[in-house]
Amino acid sequence: MRESRFPIVMLGMALLFLVGPFVVVFISAFSGDRTLAFPPSSFSLQWFAKVLTVEAFQASFVTSMWLGVLSTLLALLMGIPVAYALARYQVPGAEVIRVILTSPLILPALVVGLALLRYFVLIGNNSISFGLLIGHTALLLPYAVRVVSASLANLSRDIEDAAHSLGANRLQTFFRVVLPNIRGGVAAAGVLAFITSFNQVPVSLFLTGPGVSTLPIQMLLYMEYTYDPTIAALSTLLILFSILFVLLTERLLGISKYV
Amino acid sequence: MNMSDFLSLENLTLAYTKGTAVVEGLHLGVAEGELVSLLGPSGCGKTTTMRAIAGLLVPRAGTVHLAGQDITHLPANKRDIGLVFQSYALFPHLSTFENVAFGLRMRRVGKDELAHRVMEALRTVGLADFAERLPAQLSGGQQQRVALARAFVIRPRLLLLDEPLSNLDAKLRLEMRAELRRIQRELGITMLYVTHDQGEALALSDRIVIMRLGKIEQMGTPEEVYAKPKTSFVAQFMGWDNLYPLETIAGVVGLPASAGYTHASWRPEAVLIGSGNLQGRVLARTYQGQSVEYLLESPFGSVKAVVAVEQAQWHEGQTLNFALPAEKAALLKG
Amino acid sequence: MLSQSPARLAAWILLSPALLFVAVFFLPPVIALLLESFHVGQTYGLQNYLTFFADDFNREVYWRTLWISLLVTLVSALVCYPAAYAVLKINPRWRGLIIGLIILPLMTSPVARTYTWLVVLGREGIVNKSLVETGLLQEPLRILFTEWAVFIGLLQLMMPLMLLSLVSAMENLPKDVVPAARSLGASEGQVFWRVILPLTREGLVVGGTLVFTGCVTAYVTPALLGGPRVTMLATLLYQKAGVTVDYAAAAVISAVMLLTTLLVNFLLRGRAVKTARAA
Repeated sequence: MRESRFPIVMLGMALLFLVGPFVVVFISAFSGDRTLAFPPSSFSLQWFAKVLTVEAFQASFVTSMWLGVLSTLLALLMGIPVAYALARYQVPGAEVIRVILTSPLILPALVVGLALLRYFVLIGNNSISFGLLIGHTALLLPYAVRVVSASLANLSRDIEDAAHSLGANRLQTFFRVVLPNIRGGVAAAGVLAFITSFNQVPVSLFLTGPGVSTLPIQMLLYMEYTYDPTIAALSTLLILFSILFVLLTERLLGISKYV
Repeated sequence: MNMSDFLSLENLTLAYTKGTAVVEGLHLGVAEGELVSLLGPSGCGKTTTMRAIAGLLVPRAGTVHLAGQDITHLPANKRDIGLVFQSYALFPHLSTFENVAFGLRMRRVGKDELAHRVMEALRTVGLADFAERLPAQLSGGQQQRVALARAFVIRPRLLLLDEPLSNLDAKLRLEMRAELRRIQRELGITMLYVTHDQGEALALSDRIVIMRLGKIEQMGTPEEVYAKPKTSFVAQFMGWDNLYPLETIAGVVGLPASAGYTHASWRPEAVLIGSGNLQGRVLARTYQGQSVEYLLESPFGSVKAVVAVEQAQWHEGQTLNFALPAEKAALLKG
Repeated sequence: MLSQSPARLAAWILLSPALLFVAVFFLPPVIALLLESFHVGQTYGLQNYLTFFADDFNREVYWRTLWISLLVTLVSALVCYPAAYAVLKINPRWRGLIIGLIILPLMTSPVARTYTWLVVLGREGIVNKSLVETGLLQEPLRILFTEWAVFIGLLQLMMPLMLLSLVSAMENLPKDVVPAARSLGASEGQVFWRVILPLTREGLVVGGTLVFTGCVTAYVTPALLGGPRVTMLATLLYQKAGVTVDYAAAAVISAVMLLTTLLVNFLLRGRAVKTARAA
């Protein structure tokens, strides 16, 4: 039977389309030219050096980092109990609860950012940082719940019953038996959440102010004025950072099966 | 059932949702040191009953008493009852040693005593060398033994086992059956054993409780339940394959027509082939090694007979005479 | 046998932090914004909406957003279906790597991803350079800052979502369904049309919904690749809210954006659920 080549050709083209541009960025990052021209006529590390000097990038990198870590932690702290409650208890209105908790994903992130700016920051008189934290945490919460729920679904109820029969109360059962066995799912949720927050643009777009801005937003602003490969270098660094981060957690905790 | 019962269930009604009860008005008493089997087809309520005794399910009505104490509403982790699951339910992230030690750690047993008791339990089930292994590194039979050790190391007042051997292959099942009996006798633990396999119940139990649709159909020693079934359901469950309404069969075999009974039944081994007042045609002849099973067609229904190979000279399509001895009949109500 | 206990106090304690967080910090601002779109002077009404849609420019923006999103969705479906099929048949050893390559773009910010097109599609970019140098064109094409640039950018952004959705749907195909169809005489094409397509329809719906709504709400790509001439709903929202500070219009756009995405979600997902139930 002759198998058609069409599917694999389409796959090849799709992959090229998806990954090709990254290669372009990667090469541009090492350009020795003064401006953005492709292919570069020479190679150098000048743009990487430049990245490290731009103050806006440094400050916003720090902001993005703490925002990512904090919102991930909050999302997990609130999301894990939710996943457990929905998995182990018959809650009346579980569907409604799920919809409410997933709403941050359905609402356009841009709208969320604007709403938080207008009512929370401007009218409610809270700080922009607080607004950013709320926005990011709300966005990460559904991911946390979803991934941890999948993990819990794979864990048999029996071992919790066994722990009970051996004398463990609910709290002991959760920390000694349930948590160790969903460790991978929690880690996967954490990684997914952090990366989502770090790369987030729409929510952060409106929630920018003096001294408070996330890295992607600063990159966007920079691109409005300057047209050189600095962004290429920064993008390359960020992509490498993401890949390393995922590989590291994969190596330490084996999370690939949860994605 | 009396006040000296070690475990006593009174008027127990159990349900999972607001709908129909899975178990209704159950009365059961178990003496200390007894091994009682809850036997029945799936859906009969035996596992539900066990979960209620363990405290994993709150009864809708009725009470559960253990050693004189009312434990009906006591939380599962305070009942001191050991549980062995069909799926073993070993903690995947803990070693064999830690699995068995879990209950002792919950009871804050001291380090030395804990190690001593865990190793002793592992020796009892023959797994002392496997203490450091994780459950994933053990075979089914080994996991089952760890689950057992984990349950009895805490010296529970009662041990509940839910079809613990059903996931093992036939040979291993027979070996584990003997092991279980031995350990139960040795430790003198009161055991409640849930199963759907009548052979297993007959081999293990001091008493068998046959359940159906949430109620007890019959209760008694293995001999009683095997040789003297009281209802059609019990009879068929215990292998009395030839079951007929009493009115159809009474005259033909010389049994009184009523006296309160509705059906009569014979075991296949009790059917006499070759002579007798009844006539039948051979529908099927199945060779079984030591014996031959005949399926006969007769005026009042099909008859299954099992005879020794030497006596099995008839073949499919042939007609023969046979008899259903009145003295070997079980008279059944319902 | 149910494996869930009836809801108890414990369950509600576990659920409350998250529910309170969303109900107190998150939903009120959003609802307030949406309500504002109906706020006309001292009363409520649809006046803002009428004003908004009366403007030709606004209508043009909305329409453009819809049709570009639709085009991206269609093209990605056409490309990703055979591509997903190929992933299914590929040697398992490579599958991990391929999935990784597909997920990679999702782990980078849309800024980085869109930036690459600035390089590739510009007047001095690769596309133009190669076309001019090989003599196919006299003058470099104007690709950047046109609708086509936005289309290409969005396609690259959204394709992983469609691809992953379809791959996941195909992985859930009953195990030997394709060999069974082949053994009954179906050609590759027939296998695809009659067996794979109907069975993976839900994956297509999920992917399509994600892609369409993603395009409708996308900001970075239209902003960077579209320029001032190609305004989409999201860039219009930014202008109204961030530049001209016309909150009434911003609220209207927000509401329109939300309604559009909700409508698509419920229309498509509702239909998929019905067909799944009927099956």
